[in-house]
Amino acid sequence: MAGLSLRSVKKSFGDVEVVHGVDLEIVDREFVVFVGPSGCGKSTLLRMIAGLEDITAGEIAIDGRVVNELDPKDRDIAMVFQDYALYPHMTVFENMAFSLRYRGIERGEIRRRVDEAARILDIEPYIARMPRQLSGGQRQRVAMGRAIVRDPKVFLFDEPLSNLDAKLRVQMRTEIKRLRERVATTTIYVTHDQVEAMTLADRIVILNHGRIEQIGTPEDVYDRPASTFVAGFIGAPPMNLLPATALPAERLSGARRPPQDLLVGVRPEHLVWAAGETPLIEGNASVVEPLGSDTLVSLDVAGQALVVRLPPRIVRRRGEAVRLTADPANLHFFDRTTGIRQTQ
Amino acid sequence: MRRSPGSPAHWPRHVIMIVVCFLMLVPFYWVIKTSLTGENIYAWPPRIIPVDPHLFNYVDVWYMIPFARYLLNSVIVTAMAIAGSLLFNVAAGYALTRHFPGRRWIVVLLLSCMLIPFQATIIPAYLVTSWLGVLDTWLGVALPLLSTIICIFIFKASFEAVPPSLIDAARVDGLGEWRIVTRILLPLSKSAIATNVILTFIWSWNSFLWPLIAIRSPDMQTLPLGLARFLSVMEDTTGALFAFVVLVLIPGLAIFLMAQKEFIRGLTSGATKG
Ligand SMILES: Nc1ncnc2c1ncn2[C@@H]1O[C@H](COP(=O)(O)OP(=O)(O)O)[C@@H](O)[C@H]1O
Ligand SMILES: [Mg+2]
Repeated sequence: MAGLSLRSVKKSFGDVEVVHGVDLEIVDREFVVFVGPSGCGKSTLLRMIAGLEDITAGEIAIDGRVVNELDPKDRDIAMVFQDYALYPHMTVFENMAFSLRYRGIERGEIRRRVDEAARILDIEPYIARMPRQLSGGQRQRVAMGRAIVRDPKVFLFDEPLSNLDAKLRVQMRTEIKRLRERVATTTIYVTHDQVEAMTLADRIVILNHGRIEQIGTPEDVYDRPASTFVAGFIGAPPMNLLPATALPAERLSGARRPPQDLLVGVRPEHLVWAAGETPLIEGNASVVEPLGSDTLVSLDVAGQALVVRLPPRIVRRRGEAVRLTADPANLHFFDRTTGIRQTQ
Repeated sequence: MRRSPGSPAHWPRHVIMIVVCFLMLVPFYWVIKTSLTGENIYAWPPRIIPVDPHLFNYVDVWYMIPFARYLLNSVIVTAMAIAGSLLFNVAAGYALTRHFPGRRWIVVLLLSCMLIPFQATIIPAYLVTSWLGVLDTWLGVALPLLSTIICIFIFKASFEAVPPSLIDAARVDGLGEWRIVTRILLPLSKSAIATNVILTFIWSWNSFLWPLIAIRSPDMQTLPLGLARFLSVMEDTTGALFAFVVLVLIPGLAIFLMAQKEFIRGLTSGATKG
């Protein structure tokens, strides 16, 4: 069990810098999720922590000890890969026991640890099978079992669920969450799926183009996105972003700067039907998508599509007039050119 | 539903295959038959069934030349070639899957060297072998086959077909480079190993020109050299010659039959893995 520090970590492949100076402190037993679009450098960062990629500049420390020059095997980390990376020529048991054999652990202890992990993960019946005889979900469990038996200082997960179908993915997500209660090891979990990030993380690190956009708890990044990028990435459907000039000036009381410099952000679920009062936004529904529990309505405002989450049956078909308002506390302001949040 | 192999719709295909098999096996049959009868191969009409088969030709071969000694030489040289080529080809093939400066140039160099026939390099090969002081030894005969470019590329292709995450996982699990090769890559490259073994066996077992040059002492000769010498001491050669050929063939057939499944997969794996 250990903390982990990244200090100005950079990575270049040849002349191309793909990670531009990342600083991060992770405390003991914390579950941190790296989230960001494909190609933003999540895996590269994780692989540097694992020791599978050289660190171009900066420092990585695990449990207070700088590991830049250490081989993966000496870093006391365990990693779960997107494609599971089970050894196809070994049984489930051998896969899980494999790393322990090279660490001088005696047979009885290996047996005990593997059995324990198999029990936790519900894979006892498959212990003698070969990986090709398992389903995707079972392979994923074995891959996690292989990490658990090691009892490492840090777990690293690289998009462990993205090869599973949607239903299994949700199921495994819950399972990982449950596993957290029993195996409270420091974890870094990489995903491009913001729902996974929100549901699993103690803290989320949002990456974009090899830089950290924001670090915070799921509530933080949802309630106070640091940039338009975060606003657009966290939440589904994402936050609506409009030029402040498209809204009536007297309603922008939170803004400290002239409307022409600002973008206003408002989440689909924070726009409410304006029954009596003057609306903040008016328009005609262009798309109506009933989801049962609520309805997503799109409308055009100042030439931009705006999405609203309304209770069912308020708007029924396209073309209907939509009148919306929002609590001023739920309006977010961003600099129009840099996209950075304007504090209020 | 698939038809079972015995169903009527299969018989034309089976007839064709039986005819082809028959045509391919006739020469082998002829060799064995002649070795048992000593019948002149120009005899007309040829006899299909051997008349009065006997093993005297085999006895001749065994006693008229030091057959056992030649066999021992061939076996040792071939075993050295197989062991050495596995070691060096695996190591080189693995190296070529890693990134290092100049890797591309080495690949190009190796590929272009493949185009040069061995006969063209035989004088430098002789000089190198002589300089190493291993002329007229088993090692000297095995030396040119201790690494073969085509097998290096067969191993390279086979290793590259292993998902990179498997190697990453092995590294995280605590394996060094040699153990990654021996515990992960080689168990997943059985076809490449079989291909390397069979090809090296065939090349070494049948090699004539190089042993002829590298060997001087009579008791260091390998079987193909022995065959040449044998022909020069025999008068009526037919039966004994064919008996000799059969004795030379048997070990090769045995190895091939044992490894053929993996061998065929190794040669064709490029086609399926892309
Ligand atoms: N081995 C490599 N060589 C060159 N470029 C690479 C290599 N690995 C990753 N990259 C580049 O680094 C960037 C980040 O990749 P990656 O960390 O895999 O992204 P993510 O996991 O967030 O999708 C991408 O632009 C990718 O093309
Ligand atoms: Mg990735």
